[in-house]
Formats: sequence, C-alpha cells, structure tokens
Amino acid sequence: MRLALREMRRRPGQFMTAAVLLTLISMLLMLLGGLLDGLILRSTGAIRAQRADLVVFSATAEKSFLRSRVTPETRAQVEAVPGVTSVGGIGVTQLGARVPGNGPRDLADIALFGYQQAPNGVPAPPADGEVWADSILKDNGVKQGQTLLLGPERSPVKVVGFVDDVSYSGAGSLWGNPATWRDVQNANRPASSVAPGVFQALVVRTDRSPSSVADAIDRATNGATGTVSRNTASDAIGGVKQQRSVFNQIIGVTLVIAAVVVALFFALLTVERVGLYGVLKAIGARSRSLFAGVVAQAAVVALTAAAVGTIFAVLLDVFLPPGAIPYQLLPSRVVISAVALLLAAVVGSSFSLRRVLRVDPASAIGRAS
Amino acid sequence: MLRAKVRFGLLIGAIALLVFLILFQQALRDGLITSFIGAIEHQDAPVLVFSTDARRNLQSSTITPELEAQVRAVDGVGEVGRIGQGTYSVTAGGSITGAAVIGYEKRGLGAPESLTAGRYPTADGEGIANVTDASAGFDLGDVVKVQPGGYEIRIVGQSEDTNLQASPTIFTKYGTWEQAVQAANPDAQTPLPNALGVRPAPGVTAQQVVTRINAADNALEALTRADAATKAPGVAQVSSSFLVIFFLYALVIPLVIGLFFLIITLQKARSLTVLRAIGARSSTLVRGLLAQVLVVVGLGVAIGTLLFLPLSFQRVGSIPLSFDAAAVGAWAIGILALGVLSSWFSARRVLRIEPASALSGGGST
Repeated sequence: MRLALREMRRRPGQFMTAAVLLTLISMLLMLLGGLLDGLILRSTGAIRAQRADLVVFSATAEKSFLRSRVTPETRAQVEAVPGVTSVGGIGVTQLGARVPGNGPRDLADIALFGYQQAPNGVPAPPADGEVWADSILKDNGVKQGQTLLLGPERSPVKVVGFVDDVSYSGAGSLWGNPATWRDVQNANRPASSVAPGVFQALVVRTDRSPSSVADAIDRATNGATGTVSRNTASDAIGGVKQQRSVFNQIIGVTLVIAAVVVALFFALLTVERVGLYGVLKAIGARSRSLFAGVVAQAAVVALTAAAVGTIFAVLLDVFLPPGAIPYQLLPSRVVISAVALLLAAVVGSSFSLRRVLRVDPASAIGRAS
Repeated sequence: MLRAKVRFGLLIGAIALLVFLILFQQALRDGLITSFIGAIEHQDAPVLVFSTDARRNLQSSTITPELEAQVRAVDGVGEVGRIGQGTYSVTAGGSITGAAVIGYEKRGLGAPESLTAGRYPTADGEGIANVTDASAGFDLGDVVKVQPGGYEIRIVGQSEDTNLQASPTIFTKYGTWEQAVQAANPDAQTPLPNALGVRPAPGVTAQQVVTRINAADNALEALTRADAATKAPGVAQVSSSFLVIFFLYALVIPLVIGLFFLIITLQKARSLTVLRAIGARSSTLVRGLLAQVLVVVGLGVAIGTLLFLPLSFQRVGSIPLSFDAAAVGAWAIGILALGVLSSWFSARRVLRIEPASALSGGGST
C-alpha cells in the first residue's frame, strides 16, 4: 500500500483524469444535495417548527391543509381524548403579497398562517392585522414595520418582526392570529371560506404514545378525522415526496457514474501495470497487498475530490446571492456525500480485483522484458 | 466479438440498461409535465387570463368582477368565458382521492379541445375525465362524489392528456364546479372565477390580445395557451432537474464505451501490431473498431428499447408513461453518435501502432 501511495506522489499526473472527473462529480453531488435540502427545508419548515406530536386533519382531506376543515365540535372531541395535553388550531392560505417599493407585478409568494399554539421560534400570536414574517421574505424586500397587501383583495397586514426556518411549500410564511388569517382567507378565497371557530387542522401535544393517541382521536371523532404524526404531515406537503424522490434518483445515478468512472479508470491502469504487478509478485508481493494498493489509490482520489467538492459547496453557500436558488449546505449532507463518493470509488476499484489476482508473475515478467 | 462474447455481452448489457433508464426517465419527465399542465395545454381557449397574485397558478387565481369587466372591455377581445378550478376530495372507485375539477362556461373557452370517447357535458352533474384515470373510478358512466357534501358528477366523456397537478381531473360545466365548491366546503361563499378564457376578435392574434390585456391592469396576467402551460409553476424546475439527469447520462455513456474500447485496444495491442506488420492498413483496423462500436451500441440501443416497450404502457404512481417514437429515435441517434465519438481515443491508439515494433517483440503502445 505504501508503494501505491508513493506512486501517487511521484506520478500525480497519472491520476489527474480520474481526479478531475471525480471532483466534478463530487461538486455535482454537493450541489444536488444542497438543493434537495434547501427545497425540503423551505417546504416543510412551518410544520417541522410546530410544538406538536400530532396533526389532526378532517378524514377526507388526505393530509391536505387546503381541503381540510375541523369544526369546533370535532375539536371538543379531540380535546376530550385521554393523553391529549394541548390542542391548537391552525390554518394556512397561500397568496401573493405586494411589498412596498416593489414593482406592481413583483409579488412575493407567501403562506399566511393563523395559529393558536406558538411554533418553535415564533412568538405568541400578535394583535389583529399584525404578522411575524419568515426571514427569507427579506430577500423580497420585506422590512419590519411595513404593511403588506395580500391577495387580489389587497388585505393589509403589518410586519412586526421576523422568525427563522418556518417556510411553507417554498413560500415565505407570515404568522398571524386566527382572526387575521380567517379575514384574509375569506376575503381572498371565497370558495375556501372558513366559519368562525373552524380551522384547517389541529396541532396536538400528548404525554403518551403518539400513535396510540392518534388512533384514539380518530375513534373519538367516529372517523371524522385523520390524525398523523408531525413528520407525516410534513412529508404530505405538495411536492416534498416528489422532490426527494427525483433528487435522490439523480444523486443515485451520479454515484453509479462515479463508481463506473473509477472502475474503468483503474481497470485501464491495472492493464497498463500488469508487467509491474508481475515483477512485484515475483519478488514476493501478495495479491492482497497489490489490490489494497489499488483501493487505497481510489480512496485517495475520492477523498481529494470530496475535499475540493466541499470547498466548492462552502464557497457556493457563502457567495450565492440570497434567494437565487434554494440551496442549503448541511454538515450532515457534506459527510454523507463524501462517504458515498468514497464507497463508490472503493466499489468501482474493486472491479480490478480479478485482474490483479490473475496476474501471472512469469508471463508478466516475460511481457515486461 | 464472437470469441469474446461475455466481454462484449457485458458492454451491450450495460448500454441496454443505460438506454432503458434514459427512455424510462424521458417518459417519466414527459408524463410528469403532462400530468401537471396537460389540462392547460389541451383546453381550447387561445388565451388565459389569471390574476397577477396567482403567479400563473390556476387554483390560486381569483378574477374579481372589476377585473373581468376590464378584460371584456379590452379592444380585440372577442369572446370571454369564466373558468373555475379547485382540488377536492372525491370518492371514486370506492376510495377517497384528490381530484381537480375544472368548470368552463362555454365550449371553445376552457373545455378539452377534443374527446377520445363519449360526449361533452350538456347538463350540470356531468363531466369529462382523462382516459388514463378510467381504472381509478373515472371511467365512462362512473359516478364521482365530491366530499364531504357528496355532490355527484357522472363521467360522460373521456379526453387525453388533460390532467392538472398530477391528479385525476374532471372538466365540467361552470355550474357543476360551483356546486362542487359548496359540496367540498359548506362555509364557502359564491366562488369567483379562477381565470378567464379569451378568444380574440377576428383579425386579432392571441399574442396581441395578451399584450393589450396585460397593459390594461397590472393585476391581470394574460398568457397564450402555450405560455400558460410552459410557464406554469414547477414546469421549468421539473425540466431542469431531468436535464441534469440526462446530462449525466450523456457523460457516462461515452465514458463507458470509450474506456471499454480503450482497454480492449490496449489488450489487443500485440495482435494489432502483428496485423500492421503483415500489411493490414491502419484504416482497416480503425474501420473494424468502428464496426464493433456500431454493433455493440446498436444492439444495446435495440435491447434497451425492447425492454422499455412493455413499461411504456404502464403508470408510475399517478403518472401515465407513453412510447414516444420520435424521442426514442433521437436518443438512439444521439447514443450512437456518442459511442462513435468516444471510440476516438481507441482509434488514435490504433493509428499510432508502429509495425516495426512487432519485429522486436514489442507491441504495447
């Protein structure tokens, strides 16, 4: 193995092709991973932030806030279920927001939440007509103290402060009290009006097993509700599963490409080094050591590529203009991408094993000479 | 090739697998986009008008009476028809599912442009569904109930490629949609139209009408039918995501083929040198190499296409796949071209072979 590493130091040019290709692949992996994380985090922030174990929808809504309605009567049934410690109503409406100073067609996509139970990082519900704004809306020019006009009816809401990581379905969120949400919803979405006391969903905390309490809630409401965990509700947001599936597929294909590149490159290298391996075997080197050398070289190339890819990802995170693309660099993603690339390289280089084992010292020396 | 069947067979298998994956993902992309915006692309209004707030999303758009009056007053506007749309929970085929209901006021201003079976609705409570959703409880004669109210819509017609938001989609008369709104939400007020379908007056083009409507009020966004489909939210993202996948394939195919033939050429270096020494011309050897590339890639493309063929009649979740002969042809030509291009490195090695080295027992290049 030491010989293999020394070879890399003395003839780095030989490994340049594979290193460049793997570096490009590593950069692509980091970019794809960052985009996936950015998209998912921007879609699910508002639900992930809920201080709740369960989310209760109406049974026919199929976990869609838009299609769900929970009446005060159903809420009373939920509150009476043993193990339920707190219940809060929640509703959301997605609209375009006119921001002071922006062009007449330059609207910001927003999701206005009406809430009773404050999510993590969000203060208690503000006064009527006031909202806490998602900090990503700063990219759209939103400032504290401004009055935004929401929807075709231009419903005014005043921004009283900012909160972080609470985006919903790719849009920046606004958090107001239930009356504010209901007024805006009814003014701008007459077909989706909500009566006083009605919410789209309930967020529930429990001191018992969440799954058993979820079953108990649905039994208590005679099947009028569909109760799911917070994570399930988060995954049910439109596009989340599809985005995850498409990006994971791209990442998977990229890793297969990395393995194929490494496999073919080291197969080529091994063919060119048959004579050298023959000589090494003739002087006592074991096939295992030679193969370990090949794997070590692939690992070094992959780790170098991963390191450059990580630097690229960090630079992208630092220099990308705010709001340009939904890119989010997470340390876990960097580690996962680097490990996956390393594994792909090791697997790819393993295809040279058979060729290394088959090297016959006598014939190899003969050919080399 | 006949003597190294396993080696070439593996390469053919690898190429076939790549071709299969490419064709599958091409069909998936086309199916996904059609499922999202097919209803916009294949409705019959030449121009659609949204409220600017909607950001080109039909369901998010609301046309107030004032905006509607403004559109009707624009010079060059011929006919105007209201379009309403919403996604509701419905019972179809014995189970609850989400379905988009699109209500149109007039034929030619928001109805499906053609039917594959049945007829257009003539009364409230009738609808047209996409032919690929037939097995999900949206077949001719099936009754779909909008929940929780239970309002019934009977399917009387079938159309093709008319889904919206990757959901089963029903086109109905405008009044049917209004009743569906009430059934889905008892608290609903009288709904406003989500969009307007516009037909230009004689002698005026769709693009001219679009320009004039957009100039009338910043709260209006008019788009031609084609633009409304291609500029719908999410379409560009889906297209670019798949473009990345196809780019990766375009990278891996020449790499796999090129490196394979380079290895083969290196392994055969001594034989090729001897052939050169006994009089074989470089061009003959290169032609042999190219013939191998064409046979291997051609067989790979053919097998990959045959593997994809039965899959093209299936669905992936809610997305129907299809066999697009033009796309298959384009990929076949592209992959053959990439294969031939990638053999350039091997051809260069063959051309660099020095016949004299055979005399000294050499042959490695």
